[in-house]
Amino acid sequence: MRWAQDLRRHSVGDLATVEEQLFALMLLIRSVEAAIERTHRAAKITGSFHSSLGQESCAAGVSLALRDDDIVTSNHRGHGHAVGKGVSAEAVIAEMFRRTNGSSGGRGGSMHIHNRSVGFYGETAIVGGGLGWASGAAWTRKRHGSDAIAVAYAGDGAFANGIFAEAIRVADFWEAPCLFVCENNGWAHSMPSDGVFGPAGSITNVVSAMNVRSEFVDGRDAVKVYETGCELVEYVRTGKPAFIEVAVHRVKAHSVNDADYRYRPKNEGAEWLREYDPINSLRASIRVEQQHAIESAVSAVVDEALEAASNGALPETSDALRGIYATRGLGWDGRAEIR
Amino acid sequence: MAALRFVDAVRQALADEMEADESVILMGEEVGPLGGVFTVTRDLIERFGPDRVMDAPLAEASFTGFALGAATEGMRPVVEIMFSDFVMIAMDQIVNHAAKLRYMTNEQFDVPIVVRLPGGGGSNHGPQHSQSFESWFAHTPGLIVAMPSNPSDGYWMMRHAIQLNDPVIFLENKAMYFGAEQEVADEPPADPWAAAVPREGSDLTIVSAGRMVGRCLSAAESISTRGIDCEVIDLRYLWPMDVDTVFTSVAKTSRLLVVSEAVEFCGWSGEVASRVAKDAFTSLDAPIFRVGALRCPIPVGVALEDEIIPTVERIEQAVVDCMDF
Repeated sequence: MRWAQDLRRHSVGDLATVEEQLFALMLLIRSVEAAIERTHRAAKITGSFHSSLGQESCAAGVSLALRDDDIVTSNHRGHGHAVGKGVSAEAVIAEMFRRTNGSSGGRGGSMHIHNRSVGFYGETAIVGGGLGWASGAAWTRKRHGSDAIAVAYAGDGAFANGIFAEAIRVADFWEAPCLFVCENNGWAHSMPSDGVFGPAGSITNVVSAMNVRSEFVDGRDAVKVYETGCELVEYVRTGKPAFIEVAVHRVKAHSVNDADYRYRPKNEGAEWLREYDPINSLRASIRVEQQHAIESAVSAVVDEALEAASNGALPETSDALRGIYATRGLGWDGRAEIR
Repeated sequence: MAALRFVDAVRQALADEMEADESVILMGEEVGPLGGVFTVTRDLIERFGPDRVMDAPLAEASFTGFALGAATEGMRPVVEIMFSDFVMIAMDQIVNHAAKLRYMTNEQFDVPIVVRLPGGGGSNHGPQHSQSFESWFAHTPGLIVAMPSNPSDGYWMMRHAIQLNDPVIFLENKAMYFGAEQEVADEPPADPWAAAVPREGSDLTIVSAGRMVGRCLSAAESISTRGIDCEVIDLRYLWPMDVDTVFTSVAKTSRLLVVSEAVEFCGWSGEVASRVAKDAFTSLDAPIFRVGALRCPIPVGVALEDEIIPTVERIEQAVVDCMDF
C-alpha cells in the first residue's frame, strides 16, 4: 500500500504485525485530518470539510483487508478512506488547498477526492450517492474475469435514504462483489442515529433481513474491524455482496463550520476519545520504540505533504471550463473547440 | 437501409451496436422477456442473453447508479426508464453523478451511458406518464440531450449516442413508436450534431424537436395553401444546439416560431428565441413567437391533452400571428 511506502521513506522499518499496521495507518489518517483542521483554522482553506478524526478504525481495518486492485467509493467524510486506499497525504491535502497536485487537480475539494490509479474511485458529496457506482464497477470487474471487489463506504445517515436498500437489493440481484460499509458514527449531522435506527447494530439487522451477509463490529477494536473485514472481503470475492456496520464515534462536529455544541454536550467528542481512543488501545501491543518510530515517520510524511501541498501550483483560471465532455469538439458552450 | 417504424429503428440501432461492441448492455425494467413496455427491446434477450439484456428490479436510482459504475469500468450501458416520468427517481445519479463525474474527477472517469426516456404525451397515460423533461436536461452541464423526430434519426442518433463517451439523455416520444415507416438512411449524417431542415421555405422559420417536428410539418403544409411558405428546422439535439442552422434560416425568412412539447415557460424554446434575438436581431421583421405546452400537468384523454400540448392548429395560429405582425 502506498501509505506504508511513504512511511518507509522515513525509516519506520517493517510494520510486522497487524497492530502496527493499523496503528500506523490510523495515526496517519488522524494526522492528515488534524493538519487539515489546523490549516483551515489558519484560513489557508476555504469552504467546508468533514473530519473523520476518531473514526479511523473503520477506514484502516477495511483498507488493510483490501488489495491494490480493489475499488473504493466513499462519502463526504472520506479522507481516511482515501489515505487507506493509497491516495497520498499530499494529494489529499493539496486538494483541500485547491492545488493542481491535489487528487482532483484542485477542482473537487474536500468532498471530491478521486484517484483512479490507486482504485480510490472516490468520494461523493451526495449521501448514499456512491453505492451504485461501486457495485456497477465491481460487477464489471467480475464480468471481465477479475476477483477484485469494490467497497462502498457510507455513513449511518445514508441508511435512512432509499438508495441504500435499493443498492444492496440490486447488488444482490446481479451478484455484484461489493462490500457495503456502514460507518455508524452516531450522528447524521445533528440527528442522533440511535433515535432514527435504534442502537448501533440495528442497521445490520435490517440488511440481514434482506438475506445479505451482514456483520456488526464495535469500531473501538480496530483489530476486530480488520478481522471481520478480511472475512467479509474473502466472502465478497466469491462474487456476492456483503455488509458491515462499524460503530465508530464522530469526535468532531459534522463539519468545520458546524456549531455542534447546540445539539450535544461540549467536549463530548474529546471525552470519548480520552476514554476509548482506538489508536491508544493498540499501544499495549506495540513496542514503545516502534510506536515512536511510527509517530515520527507519520509526522514527517504529513509535514512533507503540507509543504508540497502549499507549494503546489494553483489551477490556471483558463482551465475552469476544461473537461466537461469527453467527446471531441464538445466544449462547455456546445461546439466550440476548446479541448 | 429499410423502411422501419420508430420503435423498430431504435431496436435495430441497439441490436447493431450490441453486435458491434460487446461492452454494450441494456438495463431496465421489463427489458428482458417482455421486451420493454413499448417493445423497443423485444427479442433482444433471446439474441444477446440475460447477461447483456438485464431486467432490473424497480429501482431506477440504483440501476442507473449501477450502470454508471459499469460505464466507468468500460461498459456502455443503455438504460431504459420505462416512462420518462420515472427518471425523477434517478435524477441524483444522472445530474449529480453521471453528468459531473468527468469534470469533478479532473477527467479521470468517463461515463459512456445512454439513458432512454420514452416520454411526452399522445398515448393517454395521464399526468405522471406523459411529461416532457428535455429542458431540465438541456440545462444540466455534462449531459448530451438527443431528441430524434423520425425513424432514420432514431436509428443513427441512437448508434451515435452509444458510441459517445459522455452521458446521453435520449428522448423518445412514445407516441412516435408505432407511426409510419420511414426509410432509414444508409449512412449517418455527415455532421452528426447538425440540425436538419425537413422543409425549406422562405416566409417563416419554425424550429422544433422530437414529436412536434411532425406537427410543425403538418402545420406548414396546411398553411402553405394560404400562401405562407414555412421552413421547418428539426434541432435533433437540444444540447449541443445547432443555432447556426437557425441563424441561417432566419436570415432568409426574417421570422421565427419555436415549438416545443416541453412546458413553454423557462423551456428550451426560450433559449432558441434568446439566441436569435441577440445574435440575429437585425434579421427579424417580427417578434419571435413560441408555442409550447401550457404550464399545467398533462391530463389523461385526447380532448384535455390537446388543450395543453401544442396542436397543429395552435402552431398554424402562431404562424399566422407572426406573419400578421
